[in-house]
Amino acid sequence: MLGDIITPDLFASALRMATPLALAAIGGTLCERSGVVNIALEGIMLTGAFFGTAAVLATGNPWIGVGAAMLSGVAISAIHAFASVNLRADQVVSGTAINLLALGVTGFLMELWYGHPGTTASIQVLRPIFSFSSPGGGFLAEAWRWVNGIVFSHTPIVYFTIILAVVAQWAMYRTKWGLHLRALGEHPRAVDTVGVSVYRGRWVAVLMSGALAGLAGANLTIEQVGSFTENMTNGRGFIALAANIFGRWTPVGSYLASLLFGFADALQIKLQILRDVITVPPQFFLMLPYVLTVIVLAGVIGRAVAPAAVGEPYKKG
Amino acid sequence: MNSKMSKLVAVLLALMLVVAFLPACAQEEPAEEPAEEPVTEEPVEPVLKTAMVTDVGGLGDKSFNDLAYEGLKKAEADLNVEIQVLESKEITDYESNIDQLASAGYSPIFAVGFLMTDAVAKMAPEYPDTQFGGVDEFFEEVPPNVVGLLFKEQEGSYLAGVVAGLATLDTFDDKLNGDNVIGFVGGMDIPLIKKFEAGFTAGAKAVNPDVKVIALYAGNFTDQAKGKELGLSLIEQKADVIYAAAGAVGSGTIQACQERGALFIGVDADQYLTVPGSGDVMLTSMMKRVDVAVYDTIKAVIDGSFPGGELQVFGLAEGGVDLAPYHDFEDKVPQAIKDAVEKARADIIAGTIVVPES
Repeated sequence: MLGDIITPDLFASALRMATPLALAAIGGTLCERSGVVNIALEGIMLTGAFFGTAAVLATGNPWIGVGAAMLSGVAISAIHAFASVNLRADQVVSGTAINLLALGVTGFLMELWYGHPGTTASIQVLRPIFSFSSPGGGFLAEAWRWVNGIVFSHTPIVYFTIILAVVAQWAMYRTKWGLHLRALGEHPRAVDTVGVSVYRGRWVAVLMSGALAGLAGANLTIEQVGSFTENMTNGRGFIALAANIFGRWTPVGSYLASLLFGFADALQIKLQILRDVITVPPQFFLMLPYVLTVIVLAGVIGRAVAPAAVGEPYKKG
Repeated sequence: MNSKMSKLVAVLLALMLVVAFLPACAQEEPAEEPAEEPVTEEPVEPVLKTAMVTDVGGLGDKSFNDLAYEGLKKAEADLNVEIQVLESKEITDYESNIDQLASAGYSPIFAVGFLMTDAVAKMAPEYPDTQFGGVDEFFEEVPPNVVGLLFKEQEGSYLAGVVAGLATLDTFDDKLNGDNVIGFVGGMDIPLIKKFEAGFTAGAKAVNPDVKVIALYAGNFTDQAKGKELGLSLIEQKADVIYAAAGAVGSGTIQACQERGALFIGVDADQYLTVPGSGDVMLTSMMKRVDVAVYDTIKAVIDGSFPGGELQVFGLAEGGVDLAPYHDFEDKVPQAIKDAVEKARADIIAGTIVVPES
């Protein structure tokens, strides 16, 4: 019975489902550390998912699709950067506008380019990097099934995300760029005083978050499902925002928080298999990830303190 | 400077909103489609104006919204009626969409999807001269100007279960394994989807009493990535035939079947035709002929025999549900399975098999 739930695929599934969340969450971390709230992650992810798919449909090359997804994420986040940094608009309003814009533009372009709404045709997807055959029988084979399933069964962006979390963490706390980034969100005037441009620093951070959220969209379409459907991100951008907060605005924290959400989701799927044994309605399992989100955000895990100047437009003085 | 800037922001945001709602405008287009230049023939006055309101899935769902639209388009071609579609992006759009069409003189108006039941029940008395068709809508008391169009999904799903239950014992394709397990992916755990699951399970158990049927639910009808994960989990549990009644979620399940090697049974439309490139796993589909129900209702309105105040139920006998062709598997599927399906079909139509709804 427990063997049905605790399988290599439970953990592999958690890693897969954590990846789009983590990419967007790390993007959100970079953005918010620089002092710009980014609730547009959902819309940027959707934009990346769409343009990634469109590029693969046009060229047949999934890697070009990944590039297009990131570029489109950068492009749409530039609107957010311009509105919130240069124009000093309310960042929540600007982010909401981008979420609406992304939903509208992707739906509109679907009609325009493919002549129908809904779902696009299937595309060439990125395959798992490794493909090992399993050795002989016995205990070794069983152990290998676990290692292979959990560690070696993944597509490129899944591995990239883990590396990214570590590198971003290092960059944020061990480099001059990271110091400036953190200062931008805590005390932008201090950064300005030492002669570093606040506008430039925030622009870079917002565009980076756009590239990462766009990559999250590419993971959904070019690695996971192989087609684009309107509004397919299904609220993942907002869960990523929660993961960023739960991870206390750090890249590794964001990754681990996303992994927890991914694990909760993977676990609820496996628990449904036992519905005949434990008579609980499936809605109970389905709500697990959301219950977890509420508990986390209610602060059971401890108080999370946002960057002091997050959400505050900076005016050159 | 400050006020100038905020004006600029206001203009920018307004512009974004305009662009964001462009698709809503784009969908109005079908109404004024045939604007071709010199019309040689006298344009024939349409017999009536009929319209549909889609569910939140909208057109392009490759499922019941598209099928209802097929019915409308067939009526436009065959019956000389004018057609219109309004898409609902939110549940809160239902009433205003119905209101808009009814006040523009459209009748009959089709409200597609069980979620719209309350909106129809509320709007129908306000427009007593307008006729409504409620697809998948069950009313305790059907208003006199409404017909509820229901389907016996369990009957078609029973046939799908017969195919899956026998296929998992067979070896006609290398994606079939030696384990006696099949899978079901549902969208939301609601009575409508339960009918699919119950029929599928009953059909499979009837021909293969020992078969293990694992049913997993996505919790929505749109999250393909979730659909893929559900498919992968089922395949890990050794399921080799998977039936999905889950809207767009099913596309993800197809992807899982293609990657890990399992057969898939589609739903609502003949998904071999609506999901290009799925032929290598698409064993068959359980078709729910919403198009037939919509077309027949429009015809009934023209003939003056609109069955207002009634619930119409379309089962196997009425041609409302059925299995799609096997397409690429036509030559592979053994005659014994095809015969078993025919026998089950005959027994259901004759009433000797009554398929459970839950």
